[in-house]
Amino acid sequence: MNAIVALCHFCELHGPRTLFCTEVLHAPLPQGAGSGDGPGRGEQAEEEEGGIQMSSRIRAHSPAEGASAESSSPGPKKSDMCEGCRSLAAGHPGYISHDKETSIKYVSHQHPNHPQLFSIVRQACVRSLSCEVCPGREGPIFFGDEQHGFVFSHTFFIKDSLARGFQRWYSIIAIMMDRIYLINSWPFLLGKIRGIIDELQGKALKVFEAEQFGCPQRAQRMNTAFTPFLHQRNGNAARSLTSLTNDDGLWACLHTSFAWLLKACGSRLTEKLLEGAPTEDTLVQMEQLADLEEESESWGNSEAEEEEKAPVLPEGAEGRELTKCPADSSLLSDGGHWQPRKLSVFKSLRHMRQVLGAPSFRTLAWHVLMGNQVIWKSRDADLVHSAFEVLRTMLPVGCVRVIPYSSQYEEAYRCNFLGLGPHVQIPPHVLASGACRVALG
Amino acid sequence: MCGCSARTTARPGGRRDASGGVSHGQTRGTRARSRIWKCARVGRDTGPPELDSSWSCSELDLNEIRLIVYQDCERRGRQVLFDSKAVHKIEEVATQKTEDVPTKTPAKCCQGGGSGSLSSHGSSGGSLPHAKEQLPKYQYTRPASDVSMLGEMMFGSVAMSYKGSTLKIHYIRSPPQLMVSKVFSARMGSFCGSTNNLQDSFEYISQDPNLGKLNTSQNNLGPCRTGSHLGVLQGCGGKPPPGAAEGGPLRLSRSASFFAVHSTPVDMPRRGQSEDRDSGIARSASLSSLLITPFPSPSSSTSSSSSYQRRWLRSQTTSLENGIIPRRSTDETFSLAEETCSSNPAIVRRKKIAISLIFSLCEKEEAQRNFQDFFFSHFPLFESHMNRLKSAIEKAMISCRKIAESSLRVQFYVSRLMEALGEFRGTIWSLYSVPRIAEPVWLAMVSSTLEKTQLCQRFLKEFTLLIEQINKNQFFAALLTAVLTYHLAWVPTVMPVDHPPIKAFAEKRTSQLVNTLAKTHPYNPLWAQLGDLYGAIGSPVRLSRTVVLGKQKDVVQRILYVLTYFLRCSELQESQLACGANCGPDGQAPAGSSVTTALERGEVEESEYVVVTVSSEPALLPPGPPDADTGDLCPQLAGRGGRGPEQSPAARSVRRPRGASCGDQESKKEAARGGPARPPSGAGACVGPAGGEESGGEVPTKLPDRSAARPCPEGRPWGRPPWEKVTFHIGSSVSPDSDFESRTKAVEERLRACRCAEPARRPPAGPDAAREARDWLAPRCSRAPEASAGARGVRTGAAREAAETPGAPADPTRALRKPWGRGGEDADAPARSGREDAGFGREGGLPRNESSDSALGDSDDDACAPASPALGPGSDGDSERDRPEGSPEVELPLPRSQSISSPHVRNFGRSLLAGYCPTYMPDLVLHGTGGDERLRRCLAADLVHTVQHPVLDEPIAEAVCIIADTDKWSVRVATSQRRAVDGTKLGQDVLVSSQVSSLLQSILQLYRLHLPADFCIMHLEDRLQEMYLKSKMLSEYLRGHTRVHVKELSVVLGIESNDLPLLTAVASTHSPYVAQILL
Repeated sequence: MNAIVALCHFCELHGPRTLFCTEVLHAPLPQGAGSGDGPGRGEQAEEEEGGIQMSSRIRAHSPAEGASAESSSPGPKKSDMCEGCRSLAAGHPGYISHDKETSIKYVSHQHPNHPQLFSIVRQACVRSLSCEVCPGREGPIFFGDEQHGFVFSHTFFIKDSLARGFQRWYSIIAIMMDRIYLINSWPFLLGKIRGIIDELQGKALKVFEAEQFGCPQRAQRMNTAFTPFLHQRNGNAARSLTSLTNDDGLWACLHTSFAWLLKACGSRLTEKLLEGAPTEDTLVQMEQLADLEEESESWGNSEAEEEEKAPVLPEGAEGRELTKCPADSSLLSDGGHWQPRKLSVFKSLRHMRQVLGAPSFRTLAWHVLMGNQVIWKSRDADLVHSAFEVLRTMLPVGCVRVIPYSSQYEEAYRCNFLGLGPHVQIPPHVLASGACRVALG
Repeated sequence: MCGCSARTTARPGGRRDASGGVSHGQTRGTRARSRIWKCARVGRDTGPPELDSSWSCSELDLNEIRLIVYQDCERRGRQVLFDSKAVHKIEEVATQKTEDVPTKTPAKCCQGGGSGSLSSHGSSGGSLPHAKEQLPKYQYTRPASDVSMLGEMMFGSVAMSYKGSTLKIHYIRSPPQLMVSKVFSARMGSFCGSTNNLQDSFEYISQDPNLGKLNTSQNNLGPCRTGSHLGVLQGCGGKPPPGAAEGGPLRLSRSASFFAVHSTPVDMPRRGQSEDRDSGIARSASLSSLLITPFPSPSSSTSSSSSYQRRWLRSQTTSLENGIIPRRSTDETFSLAEETCSSNPAIVRRKKIAISLIFSLCEKEEAQRNFQDFFFSHFPLFESHMNRLKSAIEKAMISCRKIAESSLRVQFYVSRLMEALGEFRGTIWSLYSVPRIAEPVWLAMVSSTLEKTQLCQRFLKEFTLLIEQINKNQFFAALLTAVLTYHLAWVPTVMPVDHPPIKAFAEKRTSQLVNTLAKTHPYNPLWAQLGDLYGAIGSPVRLSRTVVLGKQKDVVQRILYVLTYFLRCSELQESQLACGANCGPDGQAPAGSSVTTALERGEVEESEYVVVTVSSEPALLPPGPPDADTGDLCPQLAGRGGRGPEQSPAARSVRRPRGASCGDQESKKEAARGGPARPPSGAGACVGPAGGEESGGEVPTKLPDRSAARPCPEGRPWGRPPWEKVTFHIGSSVSPDSDFESRTKAVEERLRACRCAEPARRPPAGPDAAREARDWLAPRCSRAPEASAGARGVRTGAAREAAETPGAPADPTRALRKPWGRGGEDADAPARSGREDAGFGREGGLPRNESSDSALGDSDDDACAPASPALGPGSDGDSERDRPEGSPEVELPLPRSQSISSPHVRNFGRSLLAGYCPTYMPDLVLHGTGGDERLRRCLAADLVHTVQHPVLDEPIAEAVCIIADTDKWSVRVATSQRRAVDGTKLGQDVLVSSQVSSLLQSILQLYRLHLPADFCIMHLEDRLQEMYLKSKMLSEYLRGHTRVHVKELSVVLGIESNDLPLLTAVASTHSPYVAQILL
């Protein structure tokens, strides 16, 4: 779930403060999408960048912390922080949890490290604790806008025998940019966050009662009625949540709870989305694969792949030899000038047609479709390879048997696409029969 | 085919059951039964659509939807501009009053509007004179007493400088109410103070003696007072009202609310406000949707790519990870100026207008929950209607300004607003209570596996019946063509996949890709589903709805039923991540997060691996142990519960108890010893038992309590045989005693050790460091420094030191004793049972739970290896972290969770496919109705509204409504883009695709040949797939073209021109450029 969950506190000395917040880091690319083809490229690259940013971000803050013993970078200055405004001790690196299955990471710090997120969380915190009005002061609110994100906030009190009014004011907020998602999740979030709050309050209450029992503040305050503010301003005003709950493990627990909350909320609703039946080609490919696995012992890989249950090749009606050269001079020369690797490669049938010219292409296509053997002679193995890759799209997968580049002639029953070096001899009977031959530089 | 009529009556009972054990308590048994029951019913009854409403309407009282309009002006404070609670209908009396009003006023004001703005809002202009008659209907009295509080909630206690609109939702506990508010910046026209006039008018009302008498304000306040309540306080424009001097009760103190002690007023940084606008991520959806950059495509295969991409894009655009991605511009303002007036920058004063809708909730809890469920899940629809209401209010404010006479102005304004509110109420009510198709065919097929055959038979029967009977002049073919063209979500469901099918149609695969995406990059499935239903997956994005008209209800219903096979969307399931039983009797969950180790069967491979998790049992309650001990204890108990004592090495999972920690703390010896033992094999084996005991030892007194307190989960949710898994619960919180800490750490260490693969973390180098470390470390239970220490120790002597340091706090003696004994034992007797341990513990004089931990310890070896892969992800980062300071975050395992899924019924698939409704409705994806008057009246506006306020939160290029009229046997498509030239007809006729009509014919023939229903459906799917493949061909052919002649297509590709619209639309789901070329 693309959200940040944070615990905020209204410090009596410093106003609204973010105490602890948990972010979600996703793997840059969804699993299974890695093999994205052409159209995906651009975005993918971008994503990778994102990934780098992300990791550098993680790296970035750690040294900083180490160096300055100041908690995460953009946070308020130390002088502005009192015990009550702080969660993790200075120098604490924060927490992280990995969700192995999904490669999502949940990271907790006092503040987000990303400056933009920092300010967003800060905004949300301030709004939740001092701008928005919740009837009864304890309870859920939703607020937000497109620019600062949307916030589900639940405010609550924590008992503190030393605080003004014997309580302190906190909120747990969840921030998202997707308002619909956040609102859809309201009932869920409310329930879970309420649970967390109850627990916190429960703990604090125990501490409170214990303290009251030991030293009833009310009475004491009555006595010192003339200096209430002094009382308030001295160190007591700032008690950390850990001491209010007497739970040193609090932050770790909160991290776990927040991480879990994020995970559970993100996976609360799941879709069942059907997809279509595979095509024949896919089926054939799969059969081939299966067969390949079975018989891999007996055959060399590439050949075996193609040999499987190949349909009988019809004999071509007439042999036809296409010797191409000048027509392609453009291509060739281009290839010469630029990096031949990139250029002298067929990108699509359309491209091939342009290169070969319509009549030759037509002839070639005819042979391919007829099932005749196509022999492609060229110095450039890559070119041949690309040509076959393009041509094979004309045939059902099961009908394609390629020997991409060979140093000797292979019979038609072994392959219908054969790449040969320019000087390889082709047996006369082949020339006489129905093989289609293309020669390219 | 006779019994088909009128099954419209709700069958609440049946429906509830059918919708499947949604309620948690329901057992499988009941569910099954209900299913059977349903089946039987189905069998009996050949009738078509079963209608039902999922929400009972009685729960919603229309008049309980309240509208408040508020204004917040920088200088003048807040004023209520409208409160529907303060409006009372007046019947007779007032009529006289308005009769006095010179009739020409309205006319005059029309002219005054001059610029044509009035007439441009067709309805308002037209009905203006008409409004006069209605004017007397309402009496505006004193706003209810709670308005000022509500105002505070709407605007907040501190002014925001943000210029865009803000959305808020409040829950008010008593009386239970939900309040949705939107706060807008007002955009003023040249003529400022528009609302001042309104204020004046209100004054006028209240001053008016007649009205004053009518005014039955409960408090018996005099008219003057009332007036002041109406927000008379404007300092500028208005004439000082009589009551003004008193200072309006409405004036709210502007000071930050009492609790905002030191906070400075928030001035929101205005980043990007202008950027957004400039970026020109324009409203014109067609453009932006066409320009959408390509996404990473799932793979080279096409499978479900469009659904996939939509979802992926959504998750990316709403991501927070790397800061915020600016979204479409949000310069939503509240316009107080007519379009024609240029706004005068000088007057752009900070003025905000808030609109709030308050839904009173039923006191009954269940009803309340129902409505809330509906509200929150259908929020986009609510919001859209709210926006509509807002536009109506804007118009009313603008136009009422032109009315010179105050009383009339107010009357006009109030009645306009009441009218708009009435509309809103009506829409919400019908949306909530509309009769729904209980079992949309497609969704039923997706979700239920049991009755697929019956479903197919039933559907096929209806389908063929329609083909035979209502395909007169190709009506049905045309309808289906239109539906397939616009509701495009069927396309992804027929896109071939590139992975093996399990079985034939019946087992049509769920999309793995999308599933994975949902996990790794969660997006909102409800949103995705809504988009699917509206067919908004093509490019340009079109949002489509279908209405079937007809007096013959049963025919309409049959058609609706059949269409639910073609109107596809994903089925939603609700899964609850259960983290563990929440067992604390005192409501206090077993505090302390627990570390759980479990042997899992690999999902992919056969091998098992060990999963180690920290779970906070209490359904998300923070593990914070109220008393530290408890937290700690829990572990043992749980552990025990989980695995039987016998659980032995065989189980393989290793509980590496405190050993680790002990080891470290305890001493070098341990380290030395443990060290060697651990790393190679499972390390830690030796240590294991020690930990458990230690803890026991330390907390002897507490034990009893704890155990009592925490009924630890014997029945851990995950249903593995107990011996298969080992659970460690470790209080994550560290009690003041260092022991606990150390223990925790120890456990972690062990865990750590388990993951031999990972480079273990080292303990802080120096003692200081160590101490420091522990301070914050305590919580950070997972990474046991010791563990590493141990591991190290093995390898290097140096490790010892390290081990010692952290251990320091632990008491030395203990350390000494324990480790030894333990370690030794463990090492020796790996198979040693829990009993023994217990015994051991007692020896030590510690009342220990019989922690079977020790037993585990031994077997670790095996576990280790498998464990490491499972834990893998963590490993990379870890290596570098040697020191606490420099190190990245402390790793804590995620709670292990188990998800329990149940069908989720409150979703759009179940709510927007409606049955035969009394009248036309705007939001429904599919519904039928008898008459078309309302349709004719509202459709155009609805379509425009849909485009302007897209429910999908993304720009929409076009809104489309397919209208199938079974009375005239015509199918037309109305769109937001072209206004029907011919006023009498809605939309344009549909070209019947020959692909579709041949599909219908072949299905009919197959059916007549009595081929099995499954087979026919399979054939149907194949034909749909064929359409997809053709569209693929088309798009391939068009690649690179800029313009293509239709004839060329038919010659070259054999695509007939009547297929072209359909195929183009289909192609647009996978190849956006197609639309550009062909449209």
